[in-house]
Formats: sequence, structure tokens, C-alpha cells
Amino acid sequence: MRKRTLKRGLTAFWWITLVFLYLPLAVVVLFSFNASNSAASMTGLSLRWYHQLLGNEQIMTAFGNTLVLAICSSVIALVIGCLIGYGMYRHRHRKLGWLIVLIYLPIVLPDIVFGISEMAFFVQFHRLTGLLQPGLGTMIIAHVTFQIPFVALIVYSRFVGLDPTLFEAAKDLYATPVKRVVHFMLPTIKPALISAFFLSFTLSVDDFVISFFTAGPESATLPIYIWGAIKKGVSPEINAIATLMIGAVAIAAAISLLFSRKNQHSRKRQS
Amino acid sequence: MTDLTNAVNTTERLDREETRVAAADAAARGKRGASSIRMQGLRKQFGRDAIALAGVDLDIHAGEFFTLLGPSGCGKTTLLRILAGLEEADDGQLTIGGKDVIDTPPHQRSVNTVFQSYALFPHLSVRENLAFGLKMRGVAAKAREAKVAEIARFIQLGDLVDRRIDQLSGGQRQRIALARALVCEPDVLLLDEPLSALDAGLRSQLQVELLRVQKRLGMTFVFVTHDQDEAMVMSDRIAVLDDGHIQQVGPPQEVYERPVNAFVARFMGHGNLYRIHRRDGSRLSTEIGTLQMDGDSQGELVLMRPETLDLKPGHVEGPNHLPGTITERLYRGSHAEFRINIADTTLQATVNNRGRRLPNVGDEVTVVVAPEDLVTLSE
Amino acid sequence: MSTNTIAVMGRSQGMVREARHLLFTVAPGALWIVIFLVLPSLYLMAVAFMTNGPYGLPQMPLSLNSFKQLAGVGFLGWSPGNLYTLLRSLWQTLVATGLVVLVAYPLAYYITTCRAKWRPIMLLLVVVPSWTNQVIRTFGWMNLLAPGTPLSNAAEVLGFISPNMGLYPSNFAVTLGLVYNFLPFMVLPLYAAFEKLDTAQVEAAQDLYAKPTRAFWHAVFPQTLPGLLAGIVLVAIPAFGMYVIPELLGGGKAMMLGNLVATQFSGGSNWPLGAAGAILMLIATFIGLFAMRRIGKRLGGGEEVVI
Repeated sequence: MRKRTLKRGLTAFWWITLVFLYLPLAVVVLFSFNASNSAASMTGLSLRWYHQLLGNEQIMTAFGNTLVLAICSSVIALVIGCLIGYGMYRHRHRKLGWLIVLIYLPIVLPDIVFGISEMAFFVQFHRLTGLLQPGLGTMIIAHVTFQIPFVALIVYSRFVGLDPTLFEAAKDLYATPVKRVVHFMLPTIKPALISAFFLSFTLSVDDFVISFFTAGPESATLPIYIWGAIKKGVSPEINAIATLMIGAVAIAAAISLLFSRKNQHSRKRQS
Repeated sequence: MTDLTNAVNTTERLDREETRVAAADAAARGKRGASSIRMQGLRKQFGRDAIALAGVDLDIHAGEFFTLLGPSGCGKTTLLRILAGLEEADDGQLTIGGKDVIDTPPHQRSVNTVFQSYALFPHLSVRENLAFGLKMRGVAAKAREAKVAEIARFIQLGDLVDRRIDQLSGGQRQRIALARALVCEPDVLLLDEPLSALDAGLRSQLQVELLRVQKRLGMTFVFVTHDQDEAMVMSDRIAVLDDGHIQQVGPPQEVYERPVNAFVARFMGHGNLYRIHRRDGSRLSTEIGTLQMDGDSQGELVLMRPETLDLKPGHVEGPNHLPGTITERLYRGSHAEFRINIADTTLQATVNNRGRRLPNVGDEVTVVVAPEDLVTLSE
Repeated sequence: MSTNTIAVMGRSQGMVREARHLLFTVAPGALWIVIFLVLPSLYLMAVAFMTNGPYGLPQMPLSLNSFKQLAGVGFLGWSPGNLYTLLRSLWQTLVATGLVVLVAYPLAYYITTCRAKWRPIMLLLVVVPSWTNQVIRTFGWMNLLAPGTPLSNAAEVLGFISPNMGLYPSNFAVTLGLVYNFLPFMVLPLYAAFEKLDTAQVEAAQDLYAKPTRAFWHAVFPQTLPGLLAGIVLVAIPAFGMYVIPELLGGGKAMMLGNLVATQFSGGSNWPLGAAGAILMLIATFIGLFAMRRIGKRLGGGEEVVI
């Protein structure tokens, strides 16, 4: 019947699409184990490119930069974003439309405009004041700028989901304003803080365009290094780095699947 | 009727179990100062038009179970929140235990609240919830443990203390919320409709338990509810509120049997309110007939509670005898409710089932009311 | 004092406290974004109206030269290179978005026809490739489309390309890269739309003798329209401003607006021109935002902050 052929056709379409989606990644992974440095054919399996990776000082520096950048920016963004997320919640009855626009601005701006604006700004600022040479400092500033909205929105929605009388209960039970923050608010939003940090971290590690335009000569991150290597000519080491990064994503995907399954189970237990 | 029997049985059983513990508790606890509350001219407005409280004066005695009763929007919750410090009055004075607390923030007042939604902290265990107030006050860990154990015994929480919040039922949460408020030994306990989310059986059970706790502790309880039955069962005194004003304050019996106005009369129970056309001393000419009162009368309306009325078969002449026809009958086992048409007006009567024949729809009956059961009141 | 005055005074004290609280929590973030994003963006927009100076840095006087250059009017008369780039950007966006729709639509539908147990995993499978770094993803396609690879050889045999050319760099490669990049962004909103589909409408259509294609067009398609439009905006607007994909897969031959802009700030050294291009991108972005708001309003959404 027509319906069955449609279903078969769609199923085939689905599998073809999956191949399409994973083929480039699969090839990268495959060739990272290539014994030779040919980009066209596999001659055998070997881990030589991974060994070379570890010995490559530039790559190790880039990796270090990536981590430092991600951690520093995520921490700063967490603090600022948490404050603003709470402020948005506490004063949500006011007309804060302008604030919402401001918060969404970094998310909405095309990343090339973002990167170039930052670059232009930092260059001129440096010319005028001698401060803020392009480097990890400028990159951290730029990353924090696009991380703040995500943290703010995650924290805001966590607060919105809370029973508002909980705040009053804390006041009623003798908690001073400082103690309310330390013993009530922060512990309650802990899961949101963790996921906001995780998201900021991922966004930072993954970013290329903005990092590229705000980087200095010594502050290349992994994506920047990879870009440079690609432009200079194909080096098989890139396959190895790329495979490691793809592996990290796969692990993150698996963890997120496990978490959502766990959430579903615990929610079922509650009801 | 069955609810009351249940309540009495529960109390008796609990009392028997608790005699031994009670003595030890009282000795260990000492007499914690229960405080009186004085409110003068409390005013609260939300925005330009919403007046929640329009100048409230109230005196609550130390150690009494006091209820704020009224329909939703009458201001009772606002008043409670002002007592807790969660809301700031626009104007007026408030003293608790003689101390002026109008400017004191909630975390500095020796007042604790049991919230309608229980407001148990989800990120803490039951034990940690109970200890929260003590921890905030700087009580050392060992002392906290001891007090938590004491309150758990007092409220009979049993093994609930080891559970997580999301494992608890509504009734269990309510008792934890109560325990959490009591463990801090406040001068006054405030309860914001704590039983309204529970089903009827659980409600009556917890009403008794709350009452028992209050009597044992001798603590001042201020209770908010919109349920007049609940208020009458539990309170030493009731304040009926409407529209930001106090309508009447008094013991349940007084508020029910001698309401001062039509609102209180209708709110406290089924009415039978009639307009007085002409007054001749204690002789009232009303829309339902001529009635003879006991003593003086004031006000434009007369009230007859359905349960004070007698039904005689047929049409009988006599003072305060009102002939009519039964239009509706609701049989409720222990009693029956009747709607009777008298002089084109409806009257409700409730008659206890004494095993004798009850009248039917269409029967002609005469309603008899005793002069002392008539109450006059204003609009 | 009258009771009213006291009440008002009490209330205004509270208001001052609230305002200070708002400032304390919101100011750091708001100031940060203003200083480090709004200001730079405004500066960039101002640069577009300046003149090109040494090393490409902008200087006064103000002029509209950069916009003229964008349109192709330069020192040597009219050179259409920049205009071609602009048109190519529009064209690529159009084609890529269209292809994404054609692929994502049946895919999203298919997922909804599968057992509920499998759907989250299926969606995850579609979305995970977009979690990898954009540079790496594009690099993967470079590997696949280079000269001498099976795909290139096949294309050679079929006569699509000249010998030893490879499928990249080319317009085709850029389109492919764009489709690959944006497919997940279209699948998600379409899936959400299909999930909420009111099958009763479809059954009503069939009951009224509609043939399958007609039933689809009149009962299914209109219901998925909001999700479709949302997806189109989510794809087209970023696609217009892409940089990495056209740079790697297009080389010098298939430049888009993003590459044009970026070049002016490095090798090409013409900040005002780059800024003018950036303004174009901003305009496209705001058009997209307005479109999203109108779509959202049609869906009955409010002013809520949604994540």
C-alpha cells in the first residue's frame, strides 16, 4: 500500500541522512589512525599522529590556552550571569524590556560582527591607552560577553520554577540576607549553576570566530591552531586533534542522555 | 457529628499514649513565654485601589488560639503576613509581647509561620529542614540535634525525619512544616490556611492535633482560614474580617449565635435573615410574620438559625408559630434539612432525627421559634 | 503628618531599597554588555562612515565611500566584485535554506512516526554533529571533497568537474557545508511542530475525500508553518553571515559577505568597507528578529523570556 512505501522511503531517507551527517566526522576519525600521511588512502593503522600531538609544543600550548580561557571566562560569567539572572527574577514585575534586549544581544549578533567589533574596539583601546593587548585577556572578556546571557537565562528560569514562599520561609526562620543567599538560594539553584558553567565552558571551547579576532600572537586556542594548520596545508595531526575533540563531544552526548534518563526516572518516582 | 466523635476518640487515644511523655516534656521545656499581640490602626494598600487593610485594631491574648476568619480577599492573609514581618504595614502600630515590632524584619522577630504551601526546602532533608531555623540562629550542632529529636517526638514524626522531602505526602509535609516552626520556640505561631490543601478526613485529624499541640504548649497561635467550621472547632476567639475591616471578634459561640451583622451571620452558617418592617417594643413585624423577641432589639434584620427551629405537623396557632408548606427535604441521616414556604418567603429548618416520623415535601407544618433564639442585627 | 503621607513615605523607603537591590544585581551584567558589546558595535557602525586610512585604520572625515565601495564604485570605476560577493551571499543563503527545508521536513516527520522510545535518541543523533567544532566539521568535508577522493572521482566521471579539480573549493562545496551545518537547526523546530500536529484535521480532510497530497497541503502543512518559518529564520540569518564555511570550502572563489568583511580587517586593510558589510549583516539580523517576533505573535506567544 502507498503508506508502506512512503514509510520505507522515509526510513531509507533517514539512514542516508545519518550517513551524510556522520561521514565527514567518521573520515576524520578514520584517517587519524592512518599509518601514512596521505589524505587520500588508508595505508594501515597507527597511533603515530597522536604521539606527535603530545610532542608538539604549539598544540599543547593551544590546549592549555583553551582550558584557561574556558575556565576563567566561565567562572566570571557564572558570577555576573547569576547576579543578573537573580535580579531579573526578583524584579520581574517591573518593565525591564530593555534589559531583556540587552541580554539577548550577544546571542543574536552574528559571530563575525561580534568578533570584529571586539577586535576593532580592543585595537583602538590599546592605541589610546596602551592597555589590553590582544591576548588571553581580551579573549576572556569577549567570551564572558557571550556567556553571560546563557548563564542569566538558565539561572532565571530556575528561580522562576521555585515556590516563592520558600524565600519567605527562609526569612521567617531567622536567616539574615547573607545567610539566605548562602544557605538557601545558592544550594537551591546548584543544578542550574552546574549546567550553566558546563554550557559556558562548552561554548568557550567550541568558539572559533570570536577567539580568532580577539587573540594575540601567543594566545592561540585549539580551534585557532587547527584553523592555522588547515590553511597552511593538511597535516595529519589535525585529524588526531579533531578526533579527540569529537570524542569529547560524544562523551558529553552520552552523559546528557544518561542524565535525562535519570531525570525521567526520578520524576516518575515522585509522581 | 461523626467528625466530632472521631476527633474526641483521637484526642483520648493520643492523650493516653502521651501522658508519660507529656510530663517529661513540660518539665524539660520550661514555660516559654507565649506573647500577647496588640495591633492598632493597621493599614495596608496595594497600588492605588486595592486596600487590603483599612485600619485594623486587634488584641490577641497570650496563649490563646486566635483565628482570623473571612472570605478570600478580606485581608486576613495580609494581616498575618504583617504579623510575620513578610509584609510592611503602611501605617499603624504592632507590638508583640510588649515589644514594638512594626519596623523589625522577619528574621529578627520571634515569630514563626506555617505556610499554606508548607514551603519545605527541597534541597534539604527533613532533618535539615527542621534544624534550619536553629542553624540560622547559631545554635550549635549538638543542641540542634537534641531539639530536632525532641520536636520529632512531640509531633510524633517517627521515621519521617530520615526521609527526603519529595517522598512525603501532603499531610506529612504539613506536620513537618509545623514541627519546623515549633522547634524554634517562637513567642507566637502563625498558621496560614495550613490545612486547606488536605482532604476532609486528614483535615479533621490534623485540626485535633493542632489544637492538642497548642494546648500542651500554651503558645499563642494565630490561625487563618476561610472555613467557618474549622474556625469554630479550634479557636478560643475568632475575628471575622471582610474587605479589610474587622466585623466581629469573640468566642465561637458568640460569633455564631450572636452575630453583629448580616455578613457575619451569613458567613458563620446557614441564615434565615428577615427584614423587620415595624418594631413595637419586643414585638417584630417581619416579612415572614410576627415574632416575639426576648428583650430589646436593635438593627433592621432578624436571624433565626435553622437548628433552633421546631416543626409541628399541620397548621397550629400560637406566638412565634409560623405556618407553611415544605417545598424541599434533604435527608442527611442524623438530621434533615427542610425548605419551607411561609408567606411566600423561604425558611430553612434543620431537625434532628429522633427516630420519629419526619415531614415530607408538600406537608403542612408550623415552624416554632423560641423568643430567646431570635437575634437582631444590622445590615 | 497625615496617615497618607506616612504611608507614602514608608512605601518610598521600600522602593529605594528595591531600586538599590535591582542596581546591585543587574548593573554588573548590564554594564559589561554595554561596555564590551554595545559600545564596540556602535563604534564599528561609526567606522563604516569614516574614511579608509593607513593600515586600513579609520580616520576622519566622514564619508559614504565605504558603502559605495560595497556597491562596487571604487577608484578604478565600477568593479562589481563586492556586489558579486553580496549577491552570492544572498543566493547561497537562499539555496542552502531551501535545501535544508527539503531535507529536514521529511526527516522531522519521520522521527514523529517512530516509537516514542526512540525519538529522543534519534533527535540526539541528528543534533550531535552540530556539537562538534565548526572548523573540524568543515575540515571533514574538505577531506571528503578534495581532489582524488571517491566523491571527487565520481563527480569527475560524471562530468561535473574537470580532472584533478576536486569538489572544493567551489560554490557547491560551500552550499553543501552550509546545509550540513544548519540541518539540525531546522529539524528541531519542525519536529516540535509535527509533535503538536492535530491529526484530527488530517483525518477530517481524508474523510472529506481529499487525496493524500491535498490532505497534506491543506491539513498538515499549515499547521507546521510556524515551526517552518521559525526554522527558516534560525537558518537563513546566520547563514547569511557565515565565515568559516565559505573561507575553507570556498577558497577565494566563493566568497560570502562574512569573508569580505573579515578580509578588510586583516589583509585587505579597509576597516570602513568591512564595517559597511557588517552593518548589512546587522540589518539582516534585525530583519530576522522582527520576523521571529511576528511569527511568535502568530503562535500566540507573549513577552516571556524563554530559553
